[in-house]
Amino acid sequence: MSSKNDAKGKAANTRTVRFNIKRCDGPGQPSRWERFDVPVQSSSAGSGSANVISCLQWIAANPVTIEGRKTTPVSFDCGCLEEVCGACTMVINGQVRQSCSCLMDSCAPNDGDEVTLEPMSKFPVNRDLFVDRSRLFNDLERIRGWVPIDGTYDLGAGPRETPEQQQQRYKLSECMSCGCCLEACPQYTLEPDEKEWDHAFVGAAVISQTRYFNMHATGKELAKQRLDVMSGPGGVSDCGNAQNCVKVCPKEIPLTESIGSVGRQTTIHKIREFFMGR
Amino acid sequence: MAQNKSFLEKHHFLLRRLHSLAGVVPIGVFLLFHLTTNASIVWGAINKGKFEGVHPGAATFQHEVGFIHSLPALILIEIFGLWLPIAFHSVLGVYYATTGKNNVAHYKYQGNWRYTLQRISGYIGVLFIFYHVATLRWHWTFLVPGGTKWSGEWAASTLAAAIQGSESGFTAMGVVVALFYMLGVSLLVFHLANGLWTAAITWGLTISEQAQKRWGYVCAAAGVGLMALAWSAVIGFATLDYEEARLAEERVRHGEVTIVTESQRADAGERE
Repeated sequence: MSSKNDAKGKAANTRTVRFNIKRCDGPGQPSRWERFDVPVQSSSAGSGSANVISCLQWIAANPVTIEGRKTTPVSFDCGCLEEVCGACTMVINGQVRQSCSCLMDSCAPNDGDEVTLEPMSKFPVNRDLFVDRSRLFNDLERIRGWVPIDGTYDLGAGPRETPEQQQQRYKLSECMSCGCCLEACPQYTLEPDEKEWDHAFVGAAVISQTRYFNMHATGKELAKQRLDVMSGPGGVSDCGNAQNCVKVCPKEIPLTESIGSVGRQTTIHKIREFFMGR
Repeated sequence: MAQNKSFLEKHHFLLRRLHSLAGVVPIGVFLLFHLTTNASIVWGAINKGKFEGVHPGAATFQHEVGFIHSLPALILIEIFGLWLPIAFHSVLGVYYATTGKNNVAHYKYQGNWRYTLQRISGYIGVLFIFYHVATLRWHWTFLVPGGTKWSGEWAASTLAAAIQGSESGFTAMGVVVALFYMLGVSLLVFHLANGLWTAAITWGLTISEQAQKRWGYVCAAAGVGLMALAWSAVIGFATLDYEEARLAEERVRHGEVTIVTESQRADAGERE
């Protein structure tokens, strides 16, 4: 079946959306653009609404460009399909977001609309739209993004937390490490060299997780080590306050408040250190 | 270079915070006083004094410059209070700015525009300050159209001639210089106002979104006030008549013009 003839046979409720996709065969390979025409059913047809992922699945089943050339299926990453895992994050029409929650009825409502898909530019590309976010997970390890409870004996019940603290921390806990805040940040730049990761800017997500774990009654135990990282190269002081992070965060996490809070924590941490030693 | 990098990394936090601090104290505080002094070319008339028919702005400005030049060890104040902090803030600022990559083309948020403008204003600001200090303070007169040498003895008239391009009004190059002054001071005032806003987040003074917004209004108001002073100064000197200023300066020097400040009036009141 040729994609050229698809348009003629399409049903009344179907429209054609053109996808411009930035493709790459593997790490370090050059990128190229390929275009695909995808038939999209209107939600009024009763079959539910298409999203970018379902269109990519259609392309995987019909990997033919608009020129009629057969190509390889487009690689992409996805998981939950309900905007909580962050795996399917990519740059759609120039803006970073999750592709699962990008519904065709809102981003390409008319016949002939175009959708441009690119992988995130701040992470190395594995293939096509699938990127390697290892640096983000490495940075979460740098700041010790966990609560230290492993031991040889029962630590008993944890300290009590007020409902206010719980609510504040709940919001911060919603971070899914999707990378939107990093993609939109002018201070966070691509760093494929792992050796550079320990002094490259960590970005808003990791700063916010620092605040999150420093607020936890038991997680606090590692606060000093976290603040050592936060006041070092790549820490919170590398933030340029463009505040794009908070605008693009799909979970509406108050990232700029976290940056202000960790800024205050590092200020106090360093002044204490200056006058009282380590 | 590798050693350089390790020094920067070792003192990363201290350098970042000193960079931030230097922008507020002494540079920000200096700019406030500097613009207030220079704006006296327009607002000088509000001083109480006997101006005997001379240009009150030029007389007040000459009076102020005379006071500044009477400060002890002025050169030390200049080197350690101004030139070194400005050089420090500029060199580190340009280095820090190069670590980012602006993306307003894709993310057109107001905050992102300010981020970008903060860096552009820094770059142009450094050039402007260098031109300003080199020509007027260090007397690199080959960079001044008309070759005017600024003098503290003839503070208002020589400044007017340096900005206008000649002692007898605007020349083509003078227009370029005056516009460069307008651009330079405007960008630097923005840089200070926006820098005060970001410094509060950096140091952790403003944390909540509401606090950042409130402090933003304060910084914007301060910026508008400073902008009014800056524009007054540039427009005041760009429209100042050389001969008229000359007369005022001479009269001030010979004590024929008296400028009574608030504190002097208070003193006089006590004596009575």
